[in-house]
Amino acid sequence: MDNEEFYHLKTFFFNLDLTKEEEEHFYSLWTIKTFNQYDLITEAGSTERFFYVVLEGVQALYVLNEKGEKVILGFSYSGSPSGVFDSFIQQKPSQTFIEALKPSKLFSISRSDYDTLFDDFPNFYKWGNEFFQQVLFGRLEREVELLTLTADQRYKSFMQRCPDELKVIPQKYLASYLNMKPETFSRLRKSILY
Amino acid sequence: MAKLILSPENQIQRLNIILNKVASLQELDKKLLTCSADSKSWSIIEVIAHLNIAYGPYHIKYDEEFPKMPDLKKERKTFQAKTWQKMIIEMQRPKGTKRKWKMKTLKRFEPLLDNENLEKKKIDQIFQQFFELHGHLKEAILKSRTKDISKIRINSGIGPIVKFYLPESFEFLLCHLERHMVQIDEVLKKSDFSLIPRTITFTIS
Repeated sequence: MDNEEFYHLKTFFFNLDLTKEEEEHFYSLWTIKTFNQYDLITEAGSTERFFYVVLEGVQALYVLNEKGEKVILGFSYSGSPSGVFDSFIQQKPSQTFIEALKPSKLFSISRSDYDTLFDDFPNFYKWGNEFFQQVLFGRLEREVELLTLTADQRYKSFMQRCPDELKVIPQKYLASYLNMKPETFSRLRKSILY
Repeated sequence: MAKLILSPENQIQRLNIILNKVASLQELDKKLLTCSADSKSWSIIEVIAHLNIAYGPYHIKYDEEFPKMPDLKKERKTFQAKTWQKMIIEMQRPKGTKRKWKMKTLKRFEPLLDNENLEKKKIDQIFQQFFELHGHLKEAILKSRTKDISKIRINSGIGPIVKFYLPESFEFLLCHLERHMVQIDEVLKKSDFSLIPRTITFTIS
């Protein structure tokens, strides 16, 4: 792990106040994993072994519907967390897939090492509290958008907030995330400015 | 007739569920693994051994055919099973907790185990083989996601009378596995009251 990679991890855990020694121990718990485009990072039916922080690439989180089609729940990208968190915490088989939509590099930490973070670094509870708040608020906002906004509004709202690296992934993934058909997404892309 | 659309992700999810289930079966007592509901039925370990035998022909075919398949530069689309193949697949697929089409197993796929004298070591070997073989199946499904699977067909386990494209062969194997998981559930359900040890009987004709 080089200095630049350290920096990415440090940015993610911005509110951890660590001594030099603690910092070394903290970084020693993480390993970098690389994935090719279309690799499955986590398979539904298997138990999530890692909590990830994305260094490079875009990943899609999805479940399969009854027809076997991918229903996109969300994306992870540079600087964001990734992984199937419920499966990771409960150590039960996941219902969700994570797929690398672009070649990806992710920091990973195992469940046992993740647990030691809370034991070894009291500041980690503060990070945990803020992290879970962000996740919860994000999910609530998305639920409200899906239930109350029109397709046009959902498209506009998403495109305004989404990072550039997400705008270049295949349209069918973005369309599914916004709960619309790819044809609708394509029409909106041509007609709506955001 | 409704289309049968096959996706590797759906197949991987179902295979993982089966692998988890078999891993939990491995924890069962030897008595439970080697007993069957009646003298005509297989024990759980015989079912697992049968699944190992059934994968054999596919193991060889996948190893032979994968190197011949060109890589795909884009994401593979879902695959629609052909009519005849779909019919064969659907005959295997259990309907909920029922095995709809009961069929006789070909001799060469029968497990020849002496349930009464089966040692723990042998049982462990059968489970280990199951995980190795079906780990191979999982690798094959994963590999197929980035291969052009539209050109090559392989013979099914029963021979050239049924030829499968790769996704069809995966689906057939998965339905076959799911069918036998239902059978195992039936054995477990009956195990509370009527398990009897089985021995192999030989008849001279």
